[in-house]
Amino acid sequence: MRAVKSGSYPGHKLIDQTAQTLWFLAPFGILLLVWAAAVAISGVPERIFPSIGGVLQAAATMIADGSLVEHTWASIQRVVIGSLIAMALGVPFGIAMGINRYVAGFFTPILRFSVSLAGIAWIPLATLWFGYGSATVIFIIFNAVFFSLVYSTVLGVSSIPREFYRAAGSLGARRLQTILEVVIPGAMPQIVTGLRVGLGYAWRGLFAAEMIATNLGLGYLLFLSREFYETNKIILSMIIIGILWLLMDRLLLAPLEARTIQRWGMIREVK
Amino acid sequence: MAVREAHIRRPIWALPLLLGRAVSKYSLVRNLGPFLPILFLWWLAVRLEVFPTAFFSGPAEVIASFGNLIYKGILPGYLEDSLYRLISGVFYSLVVGIPLGFLIGLNRTARRLAWPLLLFFQAIGDIAWLPILIIWFGFSLTTVTLVIVYTVIFPLMVNIVAGIDGVPEDLIRAARSLGASRWQVIWEVIVPGALPVIVTGIRTGLGYGWRALIAAEIIVGTSGVGFMMFDARRSAQVTEVFVGMIVLGVLWYATDALILAPLERSTIERWGMVHRPQEAV
Amino acid sequence: MNVGGWYTAPRKRYNMALLEIEHLSKSYFDVYTGEQVLAIRDVSFEIESGEFVAILGPSGCGKTTILNIIAGFVKPSSGKVLLHGRAIQGPGPDRGVVFQNFALFPWKTVMGNVTFGPKMRGIPREERERIAREYIHLVGLEGFEERYPHELSGGMQQRVGVARVLANHPEVMLMDEPFASIDAQTRMKLQEDLTRIWEERKPTIFFVTHDVEEAIFLSDRVIVLSSRPSVVTEVVDVQISRPRKWKDLVGNESFHKLRRHILSLLGGVQIDEQPEVIGEPGA
Repeated sequence: MRAVKSGSYPGHKLIDQTAQTLWFLAPFGILLLVWAAAVAISGVPERIFPSIGGVLQAAATMIADGSLVEHTWASIQRVVIGSLIAMALGVPFGIAMGINRYVAGFFTPILRFSVSLAGIAWIPLATLWFGYGSATVIFIIFNAVFFSLVYSTVLGVSSIPREFYRAAGSLGARRLQTILEVVIPGAMPQIVTGLRVGLGYAWRGLFAAEMIATNLGLGYLLFLSREFYETNKIILSMIIIGILWLLMDRLLLAPLEARTIQRWGMIREVK
Repeated sequence: MAVREAHIRRPIWALPLLLGRAVSKYSLVRNLGPFLPILFLWWLAVRLEVFPTAFFSGPAEVIASFGNLIYKGILPGYLEDSLYRLISGVFYSLVVGIPLGFLIGLNRTARRLAWPLLLFFQAIGDIAWLPILIIWFGFSLTTVTLVIVYTVIFPLMVNIVAGIDGVPEDLIRAARSLGASRWQVIWEVIVPGALPVIVTGIRTGLGYGWRALIAAEIIVGTSGVGFMMFDARRSAQVTEVFVGMIVLGVLWYATDALILAPLERSTIERWGMVHRPQEAV
Repeated sequence: MNVGGWYTAPRKRYNMALLEIEHLSKSYFDVYTGEQVLAIRDVSFEIESGEFVAILGPSGCGKTTILNIIAGFVKPSSGKVLLHGRAIQGPGPDRGVVFQNFALFPWKTVMGNVTFGPKMRGIPREERERIAREYIHLVGLEGFEERYPHELSGGMQQRVGVARVLANHPEVMLMDEPFASIDAQTRMKLQEDLTRIWEERKPTIFFVTHDVEEAIFLSDRVIVLSSRPSVVTEVVDVQISRPRKWKDLVGNESFHKLRRHILSLLGGVQIDEQPEVIGEPGA
């Protein structure tokens, strides 16, 4: 078959990717320009609306005295711990519930109820049970991820077509093997989606909980800065929060979805 | 494939009929049944004093407290406040989010510019905006409304864009080769085609908005159910905290399962599209 | 007469051909191999008003792409499409399309779908419903006006697709393998119905297919394409009398001769070895 080559010069893939990244960043560049212009033109006081310089300065100070890293790390730690526990407990639990269709159907309304309560609504109760500190925050995160994960896992497992079980059985698989080889991969799209949704709720719950219940972490930093009208620190924290989530999404969730859902050709649900 | 039974046509004004059907006995039973054993376990746990009573209230106390709060008019008052904020927040979200979502979905330049920004600001999350909003607008309804709008429009817009993208190209081509102009294609094909996904987006957005409202009330509030829970917690009134949580849970759940979900399903079914999104929670 | 891929029809002296396709070529960028692929090398042909022309060729030869170019969905890399001597400008109601997967609007009833075209052109309701009913009756779906597409079988949906296009009175009806996703028996019925409709109304039809027998059964002329990068191998005249019924053709010698001839044209050409790229290129 004859092909006409054009546009395929060496390194064009790298150039393409760089171009794409630049295109992605361009709107932020515009935003920064608008920000700088708005501050300069309107003459709004630093305390109400910080300038880019003010934010950068706050960043420099806080990195220097280590507090920025301290707070950021505390938040990250809590997310990681809470999520890991939630995954370790939630997925097996969800599978156990989901395998039997009737059990799954029975518990679904309760699960949906729990998910609708997940995270933030538990904060008052959590502070009562766990007091002030990391435990409360971790619990909130665990709560948010756990229920979402269980719910999605049950949904995923119970929607595996019966033929798959029959196929596995007639190929000689036993119970445990079926679970590992059929159930888990089959429910993967839902599980991953559940993880994404759960982390979304957890992310919000995290900062709300940190604002209320701790004296360490990005949420707390937000709260504290507000008390002292240090708007530059507020904006700084917000930016870091945004970047953290984007990193988590790009480096964790997206690859996970790519390797499971997309690679296996399953449809990815829109959230 | 044989022709099935003729569908009962469901024009928009039959919506009340639809709602009636949804709230029918059968649906309620199916949705509430599973809670009975949980209720029993709960009662048992309290009876056996599995948890210290200071931290854990039983169904009896909760119901009593619930009755008390209603009687004193506190609960209905707070509920009204919360709902009012939510509804006004959602209203503004729709007013801003729907046109914006369509603009981004349909216009290439707008999408290029807005999409990265959208992802980033969505990542920041609504709660993180509270401090700065409090500085700008104080502890007011404006702040709470802004938080709700912020929370709701992102899933809404993301879904609008996804819905627009999801309209099969053939349908658009068919319309154009039948003489539809650009605007006609948008109005006659893209909007109806994207509608199921958009309804899912509204549902998801409402879920987020509800949570954002509670968080805002806890942190900012002077009234409302979220505030009530936090206030009760401060005076160690565990029972009231429980009441608050249950009221929240029930309210949202009822709204979602009995109104929003059937609405979403019927939008999809009415148009017979084979598209089952994961149940938005 | 064939001159290196350009078929020269005995031109009617005072009438311009309705549709002239001149030296079309199309290349596209294949994402899987990262190369430019030439799908269509040089294709030219003409269609007269009232003709039923089929186009046929091996997989990947670009026949659907040609249809998409004529429909205005896709721009050719070079070449022209002239309708009544004027170049086309994108999609339009003068070239109606019947799609392989029907593309009916799921939220509209049969009536809603068929009245769509007239509605777009601003024809008042009573008038367009009258037109619609006429064509719904023509395709044999009387009584199903208020059904939704998902309540209909595949064959019925495609009838709606045809009615929808015809109700718009296009200059040409472009049909993109319209019966490919329909079971064999329904397909034969639909093919017979299509010829019946054509004989009644004589629309100009451009029909893309991969099925040799279908092409012969339906058309006046069959354009045979080579494999990619494609050119017109030959244009075969179908001189079988009308009306045509499947049961009659079984014993018809001309039919079988034509069939063998066309198959040899297809088989004799080198089969494209590349696996078919999923998704329509250039679409």
